[in-house]
Amino acid sequence: MHLRTILAIARKDAIDILLNRSMLTVLILPILFAVLFLFMGNLFSGHTTNILVYNPGQSAIVRVVSGAFDPVHITEANAPADVTAAFGPNGSRKDAAYDIGLIVPADFEHALQAGSHPQVDLYLNDNNVTAQNSTLIQTTIINYSRQVASPQLPVALSTAIINPSSTTHLEDLISTFYGTITLMASLMVGFSLMPGLLIEEKEKKTLRMLMVTPASFTDVILGKLLVVLGYQLLLSLVALNIVNGFTGQIPLVLLYVLLGSCLSLAIGLLLGGAFQTSSAAGGIGGMLSFIYTIPAIFSGPVGALFSNSPIIQLMKIFPTYYIADGVYKAMQNRGTLNDQLLDLGVLVGSILILLALTTWILRRQSSIVASI
Amino acid sequence: MTDNNDLMIEASDLRRVFKSSEAVKGISLSVRRSEIFGLLGPNGAGKTTTIRMLTGQIEPSSGHATVAGCDVVRDHQRLKERIGVVPEEQNLYERLSARNNLRFNCWLYNLPESRVDEVLDLVHLRDRAKDPVRTFSNGMKQRLLIARALLHKPPMLFLDEPSRGLDPIAAHEVRATIEQMSRDGVTIMLTTHLLEEADQLCQRIAFINQGSILANDTPRNLKFAHGQRTLRVTRCGQENGSQSEITLSMDTPADQARLAQLLAQGDVQAIHSQEATLEEVFIEIAGVRPA
Repeated sequence: MHLRTILAIARKDAIDILLNRSMLTVLILPILFAVLFLFMGNLFSGHTTNILVYNPGQSAIVRVVSGAFDPVHITEANAPADVTAAFGPNGSRKDAAYDIGLIVPADFEHALQAGSHPQVDLYLNDNNVTAQNSTLIQTTIINYSRQVASPQLPVALSTAIINPSSTTHLEDLISTFYGTITLMASLMVGFSLMPGLLIEEKEKKTLRMLMVTPASFTDVILGKLLVVLGYQLLLSLVALNIVNGFTGQIPLVLLYVLLGSCLSLAIGLLLGGAFQTSSAAGGIGGMLSFIYTIPAIFSGPVGALFSNSPIIQLMKIFPTYYIADGVYKAMQNRGTLNDQLLDLGVLVGSILILLALTTWILRRQSSIVASI
Repeated sequence: MTDNNDLMIEASDLRRVFKSSEAVKGISLSVRRSEIFGLLGPNGAGKTTTIRMLTGQIEPSSGHATVAGCDVVRDHQRLKERIGVVPEEQNLYERLSARNNLRFNCWLYNLPESRVDEVLDLVHLRDRAKDPVRTFSNGMKQRLLIARALLHKPPMLFLDEPSRGLDPIAAHEVRATIEQMSRDGVTIMLTTHLLEEADQLCQRIAFINQGSILANDTPRNLKFAHGQRTLRVTRCGQENGSQSEITLSMDTPADQARLAQLLAQGDVQAIHSQEATLEEVFIEIAGVRPA
């Protein structure tokens, strides 16, 4: 096993994938899915966000916060009391006409720079502001303050949420559902690319050429795994970013992206090892795409409608269900230790079983690779 | 006498058994440095299996071979650095450009990329370097395969059917490249079913059939030893002045007597000696046509 030859094979394949129309289509599809879901999400959230602002010093923070919403309507308050009155003291008024209230001190930026921890009062109406957007606004204010002053937290942010919902917001559910589906679609990249790369080397007899160079069969496999994993992770992260999927328990979401990518690669490697022709592997790959999309559909709000039904029990046969379930819960900040351990355990187990099976097949092939 | 240090290939009693058959049955041969050595035989004779054993792609079932000073089994990894292989099939990356195909091999062998232009010049493909290989003719692909095999300057080159499927002009270009490589000191072992090509290129030839070497010598010696020496005699008719040709063997007493008779009659206009072809030699030795 040589790092140089592994990287050489990965470099060659990285270029070759971009020149292959069918593989390029596989790469573009997750991005198209993400854009489609983003568009659909925007259709659902056509609501105009009403912001009541007291901003005597014309601080830029209002522009930064309002920039997170589209469409948005900003009403200027004449006094801090107008904002407090609109939401009630400590956010106690249930029938507020506004979604967000913001009280910014007159000399906000100067106070930040002087290190006097100016207070910003933020009111959020949970009926109309999703948990995801709520986190986003608070993060935006803190980041802006850090930019103006110093990396140390220079602001005292006081947040009051009115109408806190006992159940998850519908918009949140749909948003995380789209995030989950987009991730699952992007995870198909691995098992779509990997068999093609491996089988083409066998079909075009280029594998035979590689076997008379310093590369070994193991180098060939590792080089291909490396390049597909690279594309897989890049696309999954870009697609998730497009649909604002980095929300909730973000490290856990990233862990599912990594494990989902590994599972996809293991399936792809198995197909590439087991089949000798692209058409045969392509047929099975087409069927496998259902195993990725259908459990994803049943993991979200649709799954809640069928909870404990035989359909959900059937979906639990597929390891992909556990990716979708885990990601969906992680994005909603609902992942309990037991749930996540089950999901992660099934995933890691499946990856190990698939890799063991693939290694057995590839070991047999490496002994006859010269005759391929 | 040949000094052992001057030998690029030394194979002794090489055998390869597949599940149901013995493809190579105890082949022994040697190839000298800078020599062009031809391995000729019909389909299924064991040529490709022999080359795969000598290039380390498959292990011999028994026997021993060293190529460019490397044991084909024990020094497998070092052997790969010292040989170049032009396979029977044109196994290039068709979507990649000629330059990228060669750059890939530079990365594999850890060579400077400037070497790409040197070998492209050698096979006269520099002006097509940026074009995808799928747009190349068969002849151009074959020359690119040779360039790829020469990239890391191996002292030993294996060519499996280098002219297969090429038109006469492309085949001529490939032959010219092979001759140039030999002049540059590269040792070449080639298999071909074109006996005329082998006759033109090879300093020595081994005929192989059913996994065994039947003969191994220079083309000239093989023809002398196994072919029939003939004379083509052009006669001028005494009555109407018309010409006719007859072929006579130099080795049979009856034909020798007939030639003397024709000469005595004085109607012989021209005599041409005619060498046996390698194909005739092969048919005589193996009892079958080469391909």
